[in-house]
Amino acid sequence: MVKVDGYEVPEGLYYSNDFEWIKIEGDKVRMGVTDYAQKSLREIVYAELPSVGTEVKQNEPYGTVESVKAVSDLIAAISGTIEEVNEEAQSKPELLNEDPYVKGWLLVVKPANLQAELANLMDFAKAVEWHKNQAK
Amino acid sequence: MARRIIIVGANASGVEAASAARKKDRAAEITLITQEKTAGYSRCGLPFVIGGQIPSFRDLIVYPPAYFQMLKLNLKNETKVTAIKTKEKTVTTVDKAGATETLQYDSLVIATGADAFMPPIKGREKQGILSLRSLEDGEKIDQAVKDGVKSAVIMGAGLIGLETGVALIERGLKVTIVEMLPQILPQMLDADMAKQVQEALQEKGMCILTGKTVEEFLGDEKVTAIMAGGEKIEADLFISAFGVRANAKLAVDAGIPLGETRAIKTNARMETDVKDVYAVGDCAEAPNIITHKPTCAQLGTIAVRQGKVAGINAAGDYAQFTGILASAVTRLFDIEAGVTGLTETAAARARIEVVTGAISSKTKADYYPSAKPIKVKLVVEKESQRIIGAQIIGGEEVTQRINALSFAIQKQMTVRELAKADTAYAPPLNETWEPMVLAAEMVLMKLR
Repeated sequence: MVKVDGYEVPEGLYYSNDFEWIKIEGDKVRMGVTDYAQKSLREIVYAELPSVGTEVKQNEPYGTVESVKAVSDLIAAISGTIEEVNEEAQSKPELLNEDPYVKGWLLVVKPANLQAELANLMDFAKAVEWHKNQAK
Repeated sequence: MARRIIIVGANASGVEAASAARKKDRAAEITLITQEKTAGYSRCGLPFVIGGQIPSFRDLIVYPPAYFQMLKLNLKNETKVTAIKTKEKTVTTVDKAGATETLQYDSLVIATGADAFMPPIKGREKQGILSLRSLEDGEKIDQAVKDGVKSAVIMGAGLIGLETGVALIERGLKVTIVEMLPQILPQMLDADMAKQVQEALQEKGMCILTGKTVEEFLGDEKVTAIMAGGEKIEADLFISAFGVRANAKLAVDAGIPLGETRAIKTNARMETDVKDVYAVGDCAEAPNIITHKPTCAQLGTIAVRQGKVAGINAAGDYAQFTGILASAVTRLFDIEAGVTGLTETAAARARIEVVTGAISSKTKADYYPSAKPIKVKLVVEKESQRIIGAQIIGGEEVTQRINALSFAIQKQMTVRELAKADTAYAPPLNETWEPMVLAAEMVLMKLR
């Protein structure tokens, strides 16, 4: 894990331009929002997520995350069918602030087209560079 | 069709307006336009980067680029609005490359802030007079210190002047403050309270000259000294902190009326006299809660509250701004000073008759080690016996007392009610008898 300008960027994940991360876990993919995203939004009070069985599409909104002052769409980093939704994060949305990469995960999906879509995401090294440029 | 909301200005009030608008209307097209390179940073933090408490000016960026992107706020920085046409509902812009554009709006929020004010002093066109308003201003002062300047003259003993003065002393400079009025912090404190702060600052080595008008800037091309009260004061660095003036030119040119403070006139929804055009922050005026007179207090807290109200209204919903008490706090070395509501001086100016009471106490139980002094002054309207103002100076724990008294004033509490208030106590935290309550008792004695 490295910190870019105070924002955590862990190794082993893939990142989207829309401030989401994914982690490949066997034939499934876990996803959530980045540390940079949660720090930008600040005190998160609400996460509106779809239910299990719903399909998400890469680069399309699947839910919203709301903080005291802000509201933002959640944009899917990859396409797939939702297998798990983090209910704890819905009842305790502060988890997105406290632990965005572990306890604050949002969805587990069965990816539809993972290998092809990975090409649209950033690996760790690229994400570090991207975070550096964002901060400029 | 999606509602088009344009916000001119992208700092405290502008970003707040944009965020509030987005919360109310998820589909609106929201555009923020700012002349500055960096949007969404805290001006209030500038002196503390110069002082070294905050490592970098970049740390003052409250809203990073991700924020604008996540909220789908279209940010146009280094772009100037050249004209507003309220009949056609358009704004015309020019970016740094010189490209012009005309944008259509359904709602417009003017959040153009204020500019550092320079009185017509002889020699003011000379180089080397800095101010402290923007990030770039802060960087210039910081660079001058790094370049080895040894002394500074700061013109103006308001919050910015004094906070900057403290910062420069902390960086090892010799600092002289020149103030036209006979006291420091004239907007914030009465003379009796200001005197205590002034003495504390002088003890720390700040040279403070009150009652002295800056008459001339001396030097060939670059300022090397000033004449103030007939005295020549030389220094390496000159900072103007005469105050700020509402930046209302765009509004004036567009025929949007100003009010009696020369800031943009607004109604309770922060809307100007022109429909669908709102004004917020340092460029707008709104009623004082006590005097009901238009006020332009130019504080960050007012800017964000007004921005939120205007953003909600601009998005088609409904919100009201409840008015200004101008609550403010500062810390200068190890002394904290705060105000809410009217000072005795401001009350007199508004022809309000008052009774005041002040008490000196401690911030912890008297017997508890490291207890610091604290002084509370209450300003009470004579007839209704309502609290209309408070000032506090202390070594710590000033801010939340100011906030408590602000709530009391907003709820129109009488001094008799405050004298009976239920308060908390533990020896390491405060005195048995809360200083605010003791100050209320002082006032009651005078009212007897």
